[in-house]
Amino acid sequence: MAAVADRIRNPGRRLRGGPTFNRWAILLLPAIAFLIAFFIAPLILMGFRSVTDPPGAGLSNYAAFFANEANVRVLTNTFTIAAISTIACLVMGYPYAYLMVQAPPRLAGVLLIIVLIPFWSSLLVRTFAWEVILRDTGVINSVLLSWGVIDEPLQLMRNTLGVILGMSQILLPFMVLPLYTVMRRIDPELTRAASNLGARPWPAFRRVFLPLSLPGIASGSLLVFVLALGFYITPTILGSPRETMISRFIADQIQTRLNWGLGSAMAVILMLLTLVCLLAASRFVRIRDVYGAIGEET
Amino acid sequence: MLVRTRLSTLSAIALLVAACGGSGASTAPTQAASTQSTASQAPPATQAAAEDVCTKPKGTSGVTLGFASYGGVYQKAQRDGWLTPYTALTGVQFAESEESANAEIKKQVENNAVTWDVVDVGNDFGLSANAAVLEPLDYSLIKKDEILPGFASDLRVADITYGVVLAYRSDKFSTPPAGWADFFDLQKFPGKRGMYDYSAGGIFEVALMADGVAPKDLYRNGQGLDVDRAITKLDTIKSSLVFWPGGAKSMELIEAGEVTMSLMWNGRAWSAKHIDNKPVEIQWNQQILTADFFVVPKGTPHKADAMQFIAWATCAQNNAAPSNEIPYGPTNKNAKPQADKVADLAVTNVNDSTAYFDDEWLVNNAAMLDQKYNDWKTK
Repeated sequence: MAAVADRIRNPGRRLRGGPTFNRWAILLLPAIAFLIAFFIAPLILMGFRSVTDPPGAGLSNYAAFFANEANVRVLTNTFTIAAISTIACLVMGYPYAYLMVQAPPRLAGVLLIIVLIPFWSSLLVRTFAWEVILRDTGVINSVLLSWGVIDEPLQLMRNTLGVILGMSQILLPFMVLPLYTVMRRIDPELTRAASNLGARPWPAFRRVFLPLSLPGIASGSLLVFVLALGFYITPTILGSPRETMISRFIADQIQTRLNWGLGSAMAVILMLLTLVCLLAASRFVRIRDVYGAIGEET
Repeated sequence: MLVRTRLSTLSAIALLVAACGGSGASTAPTQAASTQSTASQAPPATQAAAEDVCTKPKGTSGVTLGFASYGGVYQKAQRDGWLTPYTALTGVQFAESEESANAEIKKQVENNAVTWDVVDVGNDFGLSANAAVLEPLDYSLIKKDEILPGFASDLRVADITYGVVLAYRSDKFSTPPAGWADFFDLQKFPGKRGMYDYSAGGIFEVALMADGVAPKDLYRNGQGLDVDRAITKLDTIKSSLVFWPGGAKSMELIEAGEVTMSLMWNGRAWSAKHIDNKPVEIQWNQQILTADFFVVPKGTPHKADAMQFIAWATCAQNNAAPSNEIPYGPTNKNAKPQADKVADLAVTNVNDSTAYFDDEWLVNNAAMLDQKYNDWKTK
């Protein structure tokens, strides 16, 4: 029975085992070719440029990067802000995804649309909207000042707070959607069974639902973290120079300073550190689960 | 159940699609100029055309020159003042780009695909460090001695001057600030300060001037800026500094009242006052006079036509045309802008306190400047 079911799901598979080849995999070839040509190849070229520009550079670009205290400081800051944004997204996204799962289908659909709407508007527009709200002469401060609640404008932007607010709003959908996909598949009977066995609501949640939603937490967090590492426009607009992220430096070197060797080296460093984070995360989470959480159907 | 399945499919697709497009990475779209005519011929350069180029430039009719500048009202003024009249005069067409960028020039030359023939660049380009990617200008055509001293060199000639000035909100202060020292005086002139976020944009120069350095001593006779001294001075107002990355942002900050004083480009300060009708005034004392420059990327197929145009645009009778639309000044000493525009031009307001950038030193020491700047800024 299981074999038949297996055969239906994997038409290319021989019943008796041996090397499996799913002939539908051929459909992947155009996408793979595209990725190789426009993603893998440029990455490799960039790696080459980091050691050959200026000619004979070798590892001098990398040495120059680490020799500069500001670079290391900004790199550390990048990972810190990405981590804080991830936690903020998790704290806000988890209850939202939970609500989506518990809600009746129509409401769940509305909630999903609300989460997806930011994708349809420009990132810059959203960031500037935050600026209008948070700045010294912005909406919040103007209202509070006119009500006499405060005497001096609150510093809501040009600091870490502004950056986190802006980034987590932009990254929230990337946390909610994987969480929702995983939570949706958790059988509600399980939590109900726990209560039937005498568990109070919170322990039932903590010991049954929460562990089952861990793949969603892992995949959402990983996605948000990696995306946050690449941000630099939002931190530049909403933060002070102290919140500068490494991608800003990379962009400066490539676009303004025309120092493509150093810029490439910085980009390679960022990429390698990200891969290290992924490797570290893979100790606790099966990376396959991350992809499974994003797109898998029952 | 069906709804939920469809929802998760939708969410999967949305996630994957948006993951590529919704992230924070920026793209700076550089559009190269589009079409060019293929059959271009080198115009006969036999006559001593230096005298005639101002009135009868030898443009090859039907040729399309790629012209790249910075867009907006700036490029419109250049178009109305130079491009359109030149086309009427010679039949040379222009394919414009509004995304002038040094990186694009380098890229075009390196890939042997030069589509920009005349490029308007900032004062950080066209120096000896860029000799590999630029054509030397034809000074048998361009009247070098008529250009303001220091604004014409082998690879570039200034087309438009402007000033890096102290702009302030006239409604916030009873007495206007007199110079950069007042910019650093948070007691007498409270409020935040706008500053151009670029190590070679004037931040160190104005700090030094505020600290008492005379304009001619800023670069210590070739030794360069005393960056450490400037940084010490900047530290006194560091928490009040608000950095702006571009002209539009500088206007927004001072117009909204986020900053009460700002380092600005004079054209932007003028726009804040005359176009957006905000109480923004310019203190011309201690301005830094600088310019944008025309350069010709190396290997352009229309070199001769590009040189003719540049020579024509920098002639006395033609150079001031864009100044009629925007308050950016001519670079030819003999050019005559309209009388009612003269007072708003940076060149008109030059006096003994005016400072100048040492572009060569700034570019040659860009790495050091960047490093110290970023180090200080991110602390």
